[in-house]
Amino acid sequence: MVNGWMAFSRDLQEQLPLVLNGLIETLNLTVAISISGLLLGVVVFYLSTCRSALIRQVTKGYISFFIGMPLIVLLFLIYYGLPQWGVRMSPFTVAFIGFTLNVAAYNAAYLTTAFNGMDATELEAAHAQGFSDGQVFRYITLPQVLRLSVPALTNQVIGNLKDSSVAFLIQYTEFFARVQELAATNFQFFKAYLFAALVYLAIVSLIVVIARMIEKRICIIG
Amino acid sequence: MDMLGILQHLAGGVVYTVLVTLVCSLTGLAVGLSVATIRRLSGAPLRTVCDVYTYLLRGVPVLVLLFIVYFGLPGIGLKVPPLLAMALSLGLISSAYLAEIFRGALDSVDPVEVLAAQAMGMTRFQIFWHIEMPQMLRFSLPGMVNEFTSVLKYSPFAYTVGIPEITKEAITLTATTLQGAEIYLVVGILYFSIYRILLVGVRALERYFRVPGIASL
Amino acid sequence: MALIEIRELEKRFNDQRVLAGVNLDVEAGEIKVVMGPSGCGKSTLLRCLNRLVDPTSGTIHFDGQEVTGPMVDVRLLRQKIGFVFQQFALYRHLSVLDNVTLGLRKLQKLRKPDAEEKAMAQLERLGMAAHKDKFPAQISGGQKQRVALARALAMDPAMIVLDEPTSALDPVMCREVGELIRQLNSEGVTMLCVTHDIDLAQAISEKAVFLNQGVVSAEATFAALANHDHEATRTFFNRTKA
Ligand SMILES: Nc1ncnc2c1ncn2[C@@H]1O[C@H](COP(=O)(O)OP(=O)(O)OP(=O)(O)O)[C@@H](O)[C@H]1O
Ligand SMILES: [Mg+2]
Repeated sequence: MVNGWMAFSRDLQEQLPLVLNGLIETLNLTVAISISGLLLGVVVFYLSTCRSALIRQVTKGYISFFIGMPLIVLLFLIYYGLPQWGVRMSPFTVAFIGFTLNVAAYNAAYLTTAFNGMDATELEAAHAQGFSDGQVFRYITLPQVLRLSVPALTNQVIGNLKDSSVAFLIQYTEFFARVQELAATNFQFFKAYLFAALVYLAIVSLIVVIARMIEKRICIIG
Repeated sequence: MDMLGILQHLAGGVVYTVLVTLVCSLTGLAVGLSVATIRRLSGAPLRTVCDVYTYLLRGVPVLVLLFIVYFGLPGIGLKVPPLLAMALSLGLISSAYLAEIFRGALDSVDPVEVLAAQAMGMTRFQIFWHIEMPQMLRFSLPGMVNEFTSVLKYSPFAYTVGIPEITKEAITLTATTLQGAEIYLVVGILYFSIYRILLVGVRALERYFRVPGIASL
Repeated sequence: MALIEIRELEKRFNDQRVLAGVNLDVEAGEIKVVMGPSGCGKSTLLRCLNRLVDPTSGTIHFDGQEVTGPMVDVRLLRQKIGFVFQQFALYRHLSVLDNVTLGLRKLQKLRKPDAEEKAMAQLERLGMAAHKDKFPAQISGGQKQRVALARALAMDPAMIVLDEPTSALDPVMCREVGELIRQLNSEGVTMLCVTHDIDLAQAISEKAVFLNQGVVSAEATFAALANHDHEATRTFFNRTKA
């Protein structure tokens, strides 16, 4: 047992640059999809408040479909399926596109929930004052809805971090992939995976702390 | 191969997908209920244990815990069969999320009703069983549905431990036919259909148990 | 001997002395009204009776039995004292009928049909039989208070304790509940009622107990209380009248 730990920590030290590199890739992906997922989520949400019934229906379908479909299937579709039609992309691009589509659907759903809880008279008042639909959305709806959704949105960021580990299944060499390689060199699977779990836990805790700070700030303002 | 042929090939996996989803959901429900109950009925030390449990399990990726259980535990002498490994990873993680949902729901039970039950002469456990839990379950219904759909969507990980569910079948089929695009489209549609059927079932359940004046949270 | 005898009852929360030696008797069959300024410890006094709150010192005898010791079967005691709350406290996931039968089935271990028969008798007595399948959210405040009373009465308690039974009700319903309390009392139900509502107090009793600064400072007819020697008492009963 003690020998096992020593072997593990020796190999970990040896491969540390690779592992750290993987961690950076993980954080890269997490940050990228958190931002793109939020932006696309806002767009989808905007379309779902649109006057056109057709557009509303389509966005509803979008949200429902991507919430109902496993992320991993979406990634496999893009990574293993699309090449058949001549579309080949790097693992990172695939992960980025797949996650963005998926995360945006969730974020749009959170924003919609917050929107449904909003005071309708406030929006009517803004319209009555002569603001256009776009202006009402930009100056009234969006700021409020975003503020109300902060806890859900930060939970989504935590989810993004954890789910990014899925990307190794499409050969993206992020943190968990590097940990696999590490485990494969000394067969200390238990220790390697436990180490991975602790690292994820630590980053999640960090995000939680930051989120608390953001929530507090927003509480003081609003 | 046309879509229908693909569908026929994948159909066998549906059973396993549903099985994995059910086993993990029920594990999550049983453990999550227990954790919420223990947390509600016991003193500070056990309550902290419950909080640590939910915090830890909500901080670890499903895939990582699955690998710990399935590929890691044998290294220290514990061989875990695939389905049990799913229950001990995906199931337990969902138990942590469910326990949190239940905790929030318990906070919405009116303390005066608990006091009234106490004044009636009920034991603490009777109060929990007859007053708090029935209300808690109704309050948490939407959260529970979300959690069960989430379990369904993580169920493809079962392929990594060799369970022949939809995704596993799709991988095999893709290797032989090279029709990945159609196959994964069908897979997506299959999951989506299972999800919708699950929703219909839950809605029916919800209607059956609905009580006027208790809105779901 | 009185049904309830409270002697030198004291209750401290941390260093706050909420009850500072209360003496009070409730005779079987009577209806006793306790009034007093907000925060004077009325709810605390009632909660000491069935040990929802444990008194710091003093004694309470219920039906000749000491209830404050550690050897007392608290749950049995609670079953003998029907409690009615200001906020009604109906179980909102249960129908009106189930609200009344729950205690009968789970505490008195009656079979379902027997429990329902007994519950229906009380609901009829209080005019709520027609609403038995409704849920708390579907009935009015006054109706909720009737159900709460039926729920307490169904357990065949030795007495009913009411903590501000009308303060969540509008005036018409207050009068209704007042009449109900009088009716029940005339049918022999012993009651101890705490209230802010002077109209209710006068509707159900000739006399009132004035609880102030942790002690019973007076017990007399309303007229006497309004002209009491004691300044605080006089002020309270004149102000509440106006
Ligand atoms: N559990 C408790 N812990 C600490 N203090 C308490 C507790 N319960 C009551 N108190 C305090 O005891 C005092 C009396 O409370 P109580 O509820 O008995 O008053 P009350 O006469 O019923 O008031 P009201 O008319 O407002 O209902 C209050 O100052 C209250 O803050
Ligand atoms: Mg009170």
